[in-house]
Amino acid sequence: MDECDTWDVLPVLSDEQSRDTELLAAYAAPIIEKRQTSRLVKELSQIHPLPSLQHIKRVRACKDKSTPHPLEVIVCLASDVQVTDCKGVMLTDLIPSQSFDSSGLGVPFLVKIPANPPLTRPQFEKASKHWPTSFHEDKQVTSALRGQLFTADQKAKMQEYMTAAVQAAKSGEEMGMDAVGAVIVDPESEQIAAVAHDCKRGSHPLHHAVMVCIDLVACGQGGGTYDYEKYPACLFNSSETFRNACNGKENGLPYICTGYDLYVTREPCVMCAMALVHSRINRVFYGATSADGALGTKYKIHCQKDLNHHFEVFKGVMLNACEALEKK
Amino acid sequence: MIPMEMEAESVKPEKSNFLQPLDSEIQRWMSKAFDMALEALENGEVPVGCLMVYNNEIIGKGRNEVNETKNATRHAEMVALDQVLNWCCCREKDPKETDIPLVVYGCKNERFGGCGSVLDVSSDHLPHTGTSFKCIAGYRAEEAVEMLKMFYKQENPNAPKPKVRK
Ligand SMILES: [Zn+2]
Ligand SMILES: [Zn+2]
Repeated sequence: MDECDTWDVLPVLSDEQSRDTELLAAYAAPIIEKRQTSRLVKELSQIHPLPSLQHIKRVRACKDKSTPHPLEVIVCLASDVQVTDCKGVMLTDLIPSQSFDSSGLGVPFLVKIPANPPLTRPQFEKASKHWPTSFHEDKQVTSALRGQLFTADQKAKMQEYMTAAVQAAKSGEEMGMDAVGAVIVDPESEQIAAVAHDCKRGSHPLHHAVMVCIDLVACGQGGGTYDYEKYPACLFNSSETFRNACNGKENGLPYICTGYDLYVTREPCVMCAMALVHSRINRVFYGATSADGALGTKYKIHCQKDLNHHFEVFKGVMLNACEALEKK
Repeated sequence: MIPMEMEAESVKPEKSNFLQPLDSEIQRWMSKAFDMALEALENGEVPVGCLMVYNNEIIGKGRNEVNETKNATRHAEMVALDQVLNWCCCREKDPKETDIPLVVYGCKNERFGGCGSVLDVSSDHLPHTGTSFKCIAGYRAEEAVEMLKMFYKQENPNAPKPKVRK
C-alpha cells in the first residue's frame, strides 16, 4: 500500500495563526540624512510610541534601490493624527511639537503596516510585503504547513490506523449506519486501543463514532457504559500485550484518553469535540471536513482559549478514501 | 473537566409553541436536579444533576458518573438522556421528536460551558448537528457553585498527579 504520496497531513491552526494579514494605515517618511537616523527614531518613538505594534520595525531599508534615500521610518499611525488633506500632508501635521527637530526627514507618505505579529511563515511572508516585522518562528508549525512534519514511516502508521477507521465505517454502513469510523491509538506502544463506527442510526442518537470509541476505551480500562455486542466492528483491545503496555506506563495506569491519538474519517461535531477535550485526547487526525465540524470548520474547539485542555489537530489523512465514504 | 450545571430540562415535541414553565415549576424541578447533584457529590463525582421533564413528568434523571465509568463524557445530561430514550422506546415515540426546547441551569461554567459561557451552541445555527434551544441561566447559581467548590476541595483520586515542574 503506497497511497501515502496522494494525501497530505495538514495542521488545523487557530484563527490567529490562519487569518489574513490585517493592515493599518500609517505615515512613513524617508530619512534623507542617514546620520540622523538614531536621533529621529528615538524622538519619533517618544512623540508617537506604538505600544500595540511591538512587531513592527520602525525603520525599513528602501525597497527601490534607485531612490536617493536608503531608509524610511514610521512616523505615526494614521489614526493617531487628524489630517484633513491626505495628499498634501506635511510633517508638521503629524508632529505638532515645536521642539521636534525634523532635519533629515523627508515628506511623509501613507503606507499600510501589519496590525498583528505574524505567527506563521505564510503570515510573515505576507506581512513583510507591506512593512518589515519581527517574527518568532515556530519551526514545527512551518514544517507542518508544508506537509513535512511527519516522516514517511509515520505517515505509513497513520495510514494503517486510518485504514482501520475506514474499514469500521464500512462495516457500520453495511448495518445501516452513517459511514463514519474512529480509531483511538496509544502512540507510545503503537497499538490500537479501540475501533468504532457510527451507531446513531441504531438505538441511540448520540452514538457518534467518536463517542462510541471513547466509551470502548473506557471498557478496556474496566469501565464503560454500553454494550456493543450488536456491532461486531466496535471493539476494544483486550490483548495481553496491550495491557502490559498500559501497565508499563511511566505515570501510572492509563487515565481516560490521556496520551492517546484519535483517527476519525470525518471532522467531529461539537459534542464529540468536547468529549475529546474532557477525555484529554493527545492529538486528532481526521480525513474529510464536515459542514458543522468543530475542529476547524464551524468551531476550533482544540484551540479555544478558555478550555483547560488543548490538543493538536491534523486533517487530510487519507482524504480521498474518507471523502468517498461520505459520497454514498 | 466537567460542566457545572444543575439542570432541569423540559421536553416537548412541538418546539416552536411549547409553553414556558412557571417559575414555581422550574423551582420544583431544579430542586430535584440539586438532589441529583448532591448524590453525585456523595459518590465522589463532580456534583452535577440533570432532570428531563415532559408534560409535568420526569422522563429522565441523571448525575455525573465519570469516575465510576472511566468515561469523561458520562455527564448528568448524558445519563438522563439515556433514560429519555428508554422512555421514548417504551412509548414507541421517535426520539427525534423530542428536541429539547428549553434548558434551565444553575451556574455558568466558565471553563466548559456550551450555552453562553465558552461557546453558545444553544443559539448557533448548526443545521447538520441539531436545532437551537432556549436557555435560562442562573437558577440557584450560588448554591451550585458552593457544591462544586466542596468537590474540588477534596482531591479527585482518579486524576493522575500533576507533574512537578521547577
Ligand atoms: Zn459527533
Ligand atoms: Zn456535559
